[in-house]
Amino acid sequence: MSSVLSLDKVPVGSGGLISAISSECDRAGRLSVLGFIPGRSLRVVRVAPLGDPISVSLDAQEISLRLTEAALIQVSVQP
Amino acid sequence: MKPTATIALIGNPNTGKSTLFNCLTGLRQHIANYPGITVDKKTGSMDVCGRTLEVVDLPGTYSLKAASEDERVVMDVLEGRNGARPDLLVFVVDATNIKRNLLLVSQAAELGLPAIIALNQCDAAKRNGITIEVAELSQRLGVQVIETVATRGRGVEDLKKAVCAALDHPSRLQRIEWPTCVTDSREMVRNGVRNLGGGEISDAEALRLIFDADSAHAASLPNQSQVALMIHSAREKIRAGGYSPGSVESVLHYRHIERLLDGVVASVGPVARTHESVDALLLNRFWGLLIFLGVMYVVFQSLYSWAGPLMDSVETATGWVQELVGPWLESAPTLQSLVVDGIIGGVGGVVVFMPQILILFFFIALLEDTGYMARAAFLMDKIFGWCGLNGKSFVPMLSGYACAIPGVMAARTLEDPKARLTTILMVPLMSCSARLPVYVLLIGAFIEPAYGPIVAGWALFGMHFIGIALALPIAWVVNRLYLKIKPQPFILEMPDYRVPTLRNVFFRMWERGREFVVRAGTVILAFSVLIWALLYFPRDASVEEKTRAAYVAEVSVSSTVAGVETALADPDSEQFTVLQQRIDGAYIEQSYLGRFGKWAQPVFDPAGFDWKITVGVLSSFPAREVIIATLGILYNLGAEVDEGSDDLRTVLAQEKWTEGPRMGQPVFTLPVVIGIMVFFALCAQCGATVAVVAKELNWRWAAISFFGMTALAWISAVLIYQVSGLFV
Ligand SMILES: Nc1nc2c(ncn2[C@@H]2O[C@H](COP(=O)(O)OP(=O)(O)O)[C@@H](O)[C@H]2O)c(=O)[nH]1
Repeated sequence: MSSVLSLDKVPVGSGGLISAISSECDRAGRLSVLGFIPGRSLRVVRVAPLGDPISVSLDAQEISLRLTEAALIQVSVQP
Repeated sequence: MKPTATIALIGNPNTGKSTLFNCLTGLRQHIANYPGITVDKKTGSMDVCGRTLEVVDLPGTYSLKAASEDERVVMDVLEGRNGARPDLLVFVVDATNIKRNLLLVSQAAELGLPAIIALNQCDAAKRNGITIEVAELSQRLGVQVIETVATRGRGVEDLKKAVCAALDHPSRLQRIEWPTCVTDSREMVRNGVRNLGGGEISDAEALRLIFDADSAHAASLPNQSQVALMIHSAREKIRAGGYSPGSVESVLHYRHIERLLDGVVASVGPVARTHESVDALLLNRFWGLLIFLGVMYVVFQSLYSWAGPLMDSVETATGWVQELVGPWLESAPTLQSLVVDGIIGGVGGVVVFMPQILILFFFIALLEDTGYMARAAFLMDKIFGWCGLNGKSFVPMLSGYACAIPGVMAARTLEDPKARLTTILMVPLMSCSARLPVYVLLIGAFIEPAYGPIVAGWALFGMHFIGIALALPIAWVVNRLYLKIKPQPFILEMPDYRVPTLRNVFFRMWERGREFVVRAGTVILAFSVLIWALLYFPRDASVEEKTRAAYVAEVSVSSTVAGVETALADPDSEQFTVLQQRIDGAYIEQSYLGRFGKWAQPVFDPAGFDWKITVGVLSSFPAREVIIATLGILYNLGAEVDEGSDDLRTVLAQEKWTEGPRMGQPVFTLPVVIGIMVFFALCAQCGATVAVVAKELNWRWAAISFFGMTALAWISAVLIYQVSGLFV
């Protein structure tokens, strides 16, 4: 049973498939360039000691992004 | 030999593009600015197969979306908007992350330029268990693919050969097949732009107009509002075709790339991220922050203390040259002073920044090349993010505590133009080491004797803290007021940890040092000569005579005129020195800057500054470190006093108002002392910093920074004096 969460709410160590990205054109465009597109799988690697940003592994890369951007990404979490 | 063709290096950030550029061109490089903007244009030349080629290193970018200046430059060069289009594109592709790197390649294929691919970091890919069928990849892409390891120079000769072959027999990249909703809207935009008087645009440009929310190119077309409407309906067409216009481009390119890489790239199991265990320590809540503080402490100490001896030797060498040259020009005192104080002093004033610049960029190159810089930014982002800066602002701000010059230059590490701008404006507020003598003098003279060493220590800390305490809220306000540049998401790639190559590190130091001398050095020198002139002229001989006569009259009360005259004839006598100091004081008082100081004293009167403090403050605008020497001259103690001088402290404590409503009262009361220190802490008293800000941004921002800081300093000093006046 998987649930859909926005990426900023996904706990450290969990991940899943990107199910949707907010349609806000500009920022979504920038995220999509790095590979944040529906259907890809990602995993939250860690949260910065001060709570923001988070770092996410996606394909062969690890990318850090702020919670405000992470909130644009919907993930269907798989345990 | 004139270059016969131009090749452009293009690729994502951190792929090894600069390293490869250095391999190809050696030291035959040239840095300039692209017209009208502050992005570096790095070009070089290389000789291959009997011809000389021009090599352009384009800024690293993930895509052709032209939001920032850096990205716009890439598109402008590729479209030939500043000069001819390149004859060949050399894509630098990071083999460890080939899928994402190919996105840019696939986008740029639309341009139809001849291309080859340098598949760099093959060593690291092999280590990560990635194998790539290069021949098959080349077949599928339609262009040559050359494996390279730029840091070791491996594959560079093959790459050069491939460049020659590609120039003789150009081949182009396979283009992606767009669905009809995209091709239709592309045609619509091309026709639309033509009808609206924007001329012919290429397929690639039409696509950029559709895909980029704020395409910089759209802003350059006539009939803005109609263009915007047309683009809007083109996007609606894409939406009707079942795609989201913001991400359709990446989605389709990635689909294409995945097909292309199928069976070409294999990786052994899931990619093992070698750095994860290291990160677990370096990004740990406790150890991570502790190690970060340790690393930053080393960087700061080396700037603050280790650069000291080197700077001293620059100063000694300057003094040495001055003494060597001085006697040669004895017969022409004005020329002598110009050459010795203005020009040689000015050159020394440029070179003196080099140790700090070189040391800071040594560390920055190390931090970036090892991959730690991204981690540091990750740790610090929360602290700086709220006010429009970001985690990468930390290193420039910290460097600002040693010296603003390397700090401002270090802001280049910030890719986001808005955060970079804000950081550059805030760095000069950090209390640099040149402010320390003022604090030491005044705290030593007035606070420590009255309140003891503990309060003195806190006062010193407070002076260092006030800059950053004000900088962050000011940054927040600047960001709210200045909304023209859209905030960009702070997205940071966490690269693998790497062993840096010394060659690369030293190259980066050399590059920055040279740039400082070439770009800012001339401006700093010009400032130095100007200020020399304002403090030297007018040079009426009667000033010296009058001072001398007054002195003789004063001293001869206790001795005979003849006795005084014989003492004054001996350059080693005490009287001679005292007279010289008075003459220097008299000249500075009637110099243009001195007169201006007296005239401007009413401006500083609300802060309780008398004319001497005002002259001292004004003459410190080119470089605040001269303040102690200027005070020495003004109080007739000579320019050789230092901040620990007891004479100077005593004189200051005894100084009384000689006219006006406060006549007879001491000048240096506690509010005035604090006001002076705060003024020095906040004011833009450094011509070199202004020059560097102007070169890194532009003169308009330099002026805003200068006047903004000066106003802030003045308001703070006045507030301190006036508010304390209410309670006394
Ligand atoms: N292992 C490995 N590292 C490389 C290679 N080429 C560059 N690097 C490293 O990658 C980092 C980024 O290189 P740089 O040339 O600054 O990249 P740019 O941002 O694309 O200009 C540096 O730390 C280089 O030492 C390579 O072929 N193999």
